[in-house]
Amino acid sequence: MSSTILRNAPRLVQTLSKNNQSLRFGLKNRKISAIPTREILVNYPETRVTELSNGIRVATENSGLKTATIGVWIDAGSRYETPETNGVAHYLEHMAFKGTNKRSQTDLELEVENMGAHLNAYTSREQTVYYAKCLSKDAPHALEIISDILQNSKLGEAEIERERSVILREMQEVESNMQEVVFDHLHATAYQGTPLGMTILGPTENIKKINRQDLLNYIEGNYKGPRMVIAGAGGVDHDELVKLAEKYFANVKVTYDGVKIPELTNCRFTGSDFRIRDDDMPFVYGAFAVEGAGWDNPDNIPLMVANTILGSYDRAQGGGNSVTSRFAQHAAEENLCASYQSFNTCYKDTGLWGVYFVADRLKVNDFTMEMCKNFDLLATAVSESDVTRAKNMLKTNMLLQLDGTTPICEDIGRQMLCYGRRIPIAEMEERINSVTASDVKKVMQTYVYDQDPAVVAIGPVEALADYPTYRAWMAFWRF
Amino acid sequence: MTKLLQRGCLFFQKYPYFRQPIRFKNSVSSDSSASENSGTLNKLKLSEPIPDFPKIIYPPARDEANETKVTTLENGLRVASQPRFGQFCTVGVIINSGSRYESNIHSGVSHFLEKLSFQSTASYGSREAIWRDLEKHGGICDCQGSRDTLIYAASIDSRGLDAALKIISEAVYSPNILDNELEAARQTIQFELQDHAMRPDQEQTLLELIHKAAFDANTLGLPRLCPPENLDKITKDVLMSYIKTYHTPDRIVLAGVGVDHDKFVDLAHKYFVDTKPVWETDEHIIQLKKIELDQSMAQYTGGLATLNRDLSTVNQGFADLPELAHIVLGFESCSHQLMEDFIPICVLNMMMGGGGSFSAGGPGKGMYTRLYTNVLNRHHWMFNATAYNHAYSDAGVFCIHASSHPSQLRELVNVIVNESIGMTSRISPTELKRAKTQLQSMLLMNLEARPVVFEDIARQVLANGHRRPPHFFIDAINNVTEDDIFRVADRMLKSKVSLAALGNLKLLPSIKDVESALINKDSGLFKRFSVFS
Repeated sequence: MSSTILRNAPRLVQTLSKNNQSLRFGLKNRKISAIPTREILVNYPETRVTELSNGIRVATENSGLKTATIGVWIDAGSRYETPETNGVAHYLEHMAFKGTNKRSQTDLELEVENMGAHLNAYTSREQTVYYAKCLSKDAPHALEIISDILQNSKLGEAEIERERSVILREMQEVESNMQEVVFDHLHATAYQGTPLGMTILGPTENIKKINRQDLLNYIEGNYKGPRMVIAGAGGVDHDELVKLAEKYFANVKVTYDGVKIPELTNCRFTGSDFRIRDDDMPFVYGAFAVEGAGWDNPDNIPLMVANTILGSYDRAQGGGNSVTSRFAQHAAEENLCASYQSFNTCYKDTGLWGVYFVADRLKVNDFTMEMCKNFDLLATAVSESDVTRAKNMLKTNMLLQLDGTTPICEDIGRQMLCYGRRIPIAEMEERINSVTASDVKKVMQTYVYDQDPAVVAIGPVEALADYPTYRAWMAFWRF
Repeated sequence: MTKLLQRGCLFFQKYPYFRQPIRFKNSVSSDSSASENSGTLNKLKLSEPIPDFPKIIYPPARDEANETKVTTLENGLRVASQPRFGQFCTVGVIINSGSRYESNIHSGVSHFLEKLSFQSTASYGSREAIWRDLEKHGGICDCQGSRDTLIYAASIDSRGLDAALKIISEAVYSPNILDNELEAARQTIQFELQDHAMRPDQEQTLLELIHKAAFDANTLGLPRLCPPENLDKITKDVLMSYIKTYHTPDRIVLAGVGVDHDKFVDLAHKYFVDTKPVWETDEHIIQLKKIELDQSMAQYTGGLATLNRDLSTVNQGFADLPELAHIVLGFESCSHQLMEDFIPICVLNMMMGGGGSFSAGGPGKGMYTRLYTNVLNRHHWMFNATAYNHAYSDAGVFCIHASSHPSQLRELVNVIVNESIGMTSRISPTELKRAKTQLQSMLLMNLEARPVVFEDIARQVLANGHRRPPHFFIDAINNVTEDDIFRVADRMLKSKVSLAALGNLKLLPSIKDVESALINKDSGLFKRFSVFS
């Protein structure tokens, strides 16, 4: 009910372009070894970071607006669960708005509604987020509420019982969204046997048996200072926020007392194929992915350029954004699919790079073939002009997305957890500018060409070729 | 779900020769000569700053409540702008044009114009050429039509301002409207009309109906979507004679957010004064007959507009939704220029609030508004109840949209009628305060986004010649009292009611019954229960 399940599927495009605003002077021809006395003037505020005594980092960008977004980003999610506890992180997020030791559920709701604020939370595979959007003058108040629901949630037995049916109902809703279903299956098959293969909501049997102690154990094992970031954007005063955070989050600990310190095990990628045949469905919904790079890997930038060259297409929107993508033009001309989007989803040490598609039953094989052909083209013959255009588009998407306090705050929180810093926009632009066609070819050859894909297809899938066939397309010019 | 997961076949057990290949991810050699930096940068982790990166000088935090500057050019075109953080700017024109002006011409002309926007022009050979030019500066462009405006806008890196204005000027002043473009627009519209009919929310159809009911056959009541029978009647000559009449400079405002005003005005001169529109240069178009300019005021009429449509198949697919019937109950509100009534109506709208019965999100989505507490939380058979206020420069309609299964249509109308009557009953101070605060925060939160600021400036300058700053509205909202709400609610309830309905309407009560229920407040609708009705 009170949760947006932010999973990887809805972030297809976002992952492409999560960076920052802009800079005033071009950097194209600047040498990296330039003398550091050079300066760049920019027209966006600085991100300030302060670490508190318990390891929590406070990161803000103060733009002086009358509204603000403020929240806590936690390095915790379904990846830190075991098959027995899978679903706890998400369950906990649901319990956040059910009252604390200080406030009843109604008090909390009225308090937030009366100040015209919005309170929200979401859980993904690697991150748990609680945030509030409010008037700038209420930012301290909002931080206090977040600290309260995070540390003092009542987790009443009765509320826990009541929430089970809500989560099961939410599960039905997730299952009615084919993109979510496809991405859950994609993770399940690509990361089979590892924690990244589990869903965020958890299996029904777990949802039916999760109890108060499971939730408490999860908090104790994951909500630790060094794994938390308090992010703020809009009208937020950094020094004031640091002071308040020190006060409100004083009880967050650094040490793990009586619980096992969670280990981050490597999540192995397995090339594999998973299909559900249902001839009554109107379309084939599918995803085709290879193993990409982890967050920190610099190869992500040329990989995202490759994503941008592949682009996206939606039959319902006609030409739309497809103008620059050869693949999209071809898909439109030959009517190969109803829609497709390329994606690059990152995790700490691995990632999924590929294409999500919705295709007609008789066209699905032609679509897959054309897609593989485009992969091969990118790996062998991508032109400098295609790369230049894609770089421009990538920067545009990145910069246009950072409009509004919530997207900026989300960007700060995510980057602080993934990179341990917020990459200045100027630096990100420099990194994108430096990508060449040979860089794109190189990553395509490393990650895509002749690699084993993980494939999911649901619907009337009869016409889709078998694995050895399209595995061969990943490497040979057999078209 | 777990069962399904177990079906995932481990491909490599079956085909062992496709073993997991060895990767050399971190040993990518750098032999690139195209960029001096790529060799170093593509090995540098994203968590590590680029060494010796130039020092970044950030501006101080500032409040963006800058005043909007407005300049009127000699041909009557108004130019408005405002500075803002960020390297990107949003610029564009708003034109006093749209479906409300189509009384002397085929309905659907502005719908066609919207679809024909940013196609080939006098100096751009094709849509692709426009996009290629925009792309160089990281720009995007879009055209949106409404009942009373047409907006052509672009968001672009500030360094590409000149190109953006050139493109917008071309799109507005000199579109080619080739036969193949017209045909493509016709197809897109046809597809859009089909799509609207199949959508579970049916929002566009309902908007058309309630406007038809509220402004019968005049101005705002004219269809915004091209009626299917007009698809073949709209030709290049029809479109050109419309543009010639309505897209004159005095009906246009050029607005920009994140631009320098003086430079902006200079460019406006170059592209909107020195550049002449095609209807002043092209002999054929000059010869076309001008249509008569419709300057009539919107007349609120009230009344009934229904569409019997089988919606039982609309919701099929994966979402497990029941078949729905929709009603919209509307009352005459006021123009957005009439501040003393407009602001209280907005507060009332916020107080009624509402939404869908399954909507997600935490506290803050309006869960204590009346349509939630009095309606959706009590009547679980209702699917949706939401209040809207559609305000225009000379009139407006306040409405409540509700939906349920067709078998409960009578009860649905009854609940909404009762809730409307309740608008004139007591308001608690906390309720009023909450609605006012929520309206203020909604206003300010919306203004976080650059395109929203752009549209706000453009619309206000088009309507008043200047922009009232956000704090003007904040103060005005603060001053709203309970009596103001009663005054506007009472006046609205005394207006003739508008009723729009869509779906299986066998059980829809007559508009007479609704009217008498609204007048005889105590009797309610259908107090007398009859199995035969």
